[in-house]
Amino acid sequence: MLFTLISGILIGIFYGLMGLGLNFIFGVMKIVNLAHGDFVMLGAFGVYLAYSVWNLNPLIALGIELVIFLAIGIPLYYGFVPRLLKSRDPEMLSLILFFGLSQVIESLASFAFGTNPDTVNPTVFGSQPVNIFGQSIQMSWIVAVLISLLAMAFMYGYLYHTKIGIATRAIMGHRTEAMSSGINVHRVSAIAFAIGIALAITAGSMTPFVLGGIYPSMGVDLTTTSFAVIVIGSLGNPLGTILGGLIYGICLMLMQTYLPSWSSLVPYLLLILILLFRPSGLLGRRERNA
Amino acid sequence: MSREPLLEVTNLVKTFGGFRALDGVTFTLHKGEIMGLVGPNGSGKTTCINVISGLYKPDSGNLRFLGKTIAGQAPHKMARLGINRTFQVPKPFRELTVAENILVVHATNKHTEIGDPLEFVGLKNVAHRKAGSLTSGQQKLLDLARALASGPSLLLIDELAAGLSPSELDDVAEKLLTLATRGISLLVVEHLLGFVNQLTQRVIVMNAGKEIFEGDLASAAKDERVVEVYLGR
Repeated sequence: MLFTLISGILIGIFYGLMGLGLNFIFGVMKIVNLAHGDFVMLGAFGVYLAYSVWNLNPLIALGIELVIFLAIGIPLYYGFVPRLLKSRDPEMLSLILFFGLSQVIESLASFAFGTNPDTVNPTVFGSQPVNIFGQSIQMSWIVAVLISLLAMAFMYGYLYHTKIGIATRAIMGHRTEAMSSGINVHRVSAIAFAIGIALAITAGSMTPFVLGGIYPSMGVDLTTTSFAVIVIGSLGNPLGTILGGLIYGICLMLMQTYLPSWSSLVPYLLLILILLFRPSGLLGRRERNA
Repeated sequence: MSREPLLEVTNLVKTFGGFRALDGVTFTLHKGEIMGLVGPNGSGKTTCINVISGLYKPDSGNLRFLGKTIAGQAPHKMARLGINRTFQVPKPFRELTVAENILVVHATNKHTEIGDPLEFVGLKNVAHRKAGSLTSGQQKLLDLARALASGPSLLLIDELAAGLSPSELDDVAEKLLTLATRGISLLVVEHLLGFVNQLTQRVIVMNAGKEIFEGDLASAAKDERVVEVYLGR
């Protein structure tokens, strides 16, 4: 039981990171990036490629990936999002557009990597397990959790201690008023979009070590899981994502321990429960502005 | 007050579907001038401010600011040019502190200088509080401070007086008059004619998207069209 709880918390922190990018983009732009899971998948394959071809340490690969995807995120924003936001129903249109993008990414990844699962050597960070409260936890999980915590700390620092981060929070509150106040909403949102993608890539880089096999079609499941995590916490609330991740992680590990054949239902069950009993999420207000 | 034109609005038209919210509005505002924009509900006053501040793009017509055409520019560009505004229903960034509300809009290229905007509106003592915890009167003042933070040369005031007590009204009127003496031009949309009277004698009366009167407030009260619009025949 103790191992289940500890591993649930650890994997929950990782899932919190996985949901963070999706929630951040939704919070700032009120659009749903259905290709989020596919960016996580790309992050995973980036690490796989770097390790299997160039024997590159996954952390170095992650650094390179971040530079590349931060650079991709900005033009991707200007290419799609301003047009979406001008439409009458940006949320619905974003679902369709990013579903299309998700299909494109998955197809291209299938061409590039094939459809069979690939793995990265889980002992790349060390083969000695780490002892936490008497329980042995593999080193790769600890690294994944540390990376997740670092990314969360970065987000906190960015949102609360930088001027552009405070402007981002202003946009999350009232986009129109932010525009009228002289904030360059598109510039701030483009950076937020790129950061959202970079967070997905960061989660992806740790995916081979936390979830095991990686394959091009995994994006859809990862988007569903991320969606469950952010709905549990609260749509648009980064703090809620971390809580959602922890609840999801603990529930998942409990199911995998006691009812393993039902564990894949966890995200859907949690989604249904939260939407039935607290649709605004655990940390959400009763009404959502979207 | 200088006679040099600051804002020139010419034949401004804005439609929403079949509804013509602005129908050829034309006026000029001079440097350091305060002008009232009055009229019944739905006459197009707020739409006029929304177009000037860049929130809406006009369908046709022209906007010139300091001699340059600015119609259709994004709100943040308008703010940088020196045009800022308050809102009828103030919507401060509730999750940010009062100080952060000002910090995010602090412009580097200020056109006017009024010192610390929070000090000016009297909210310095609540700078650390979350904006969402302020009273509605304080939120209106924060809205004004936020608009002043960018150092505008033209301030568009949208019903700032609504919901304020008589003593608060006097205080706000005094502050707005101070701004005008420091070179900020004010276009004041207002229902309370007594409040407008405290600020300026020059008003434009609008009805159904059209300008039906331009002149001093006392003459407006005697104008047939204005009386008809406000009181009916």
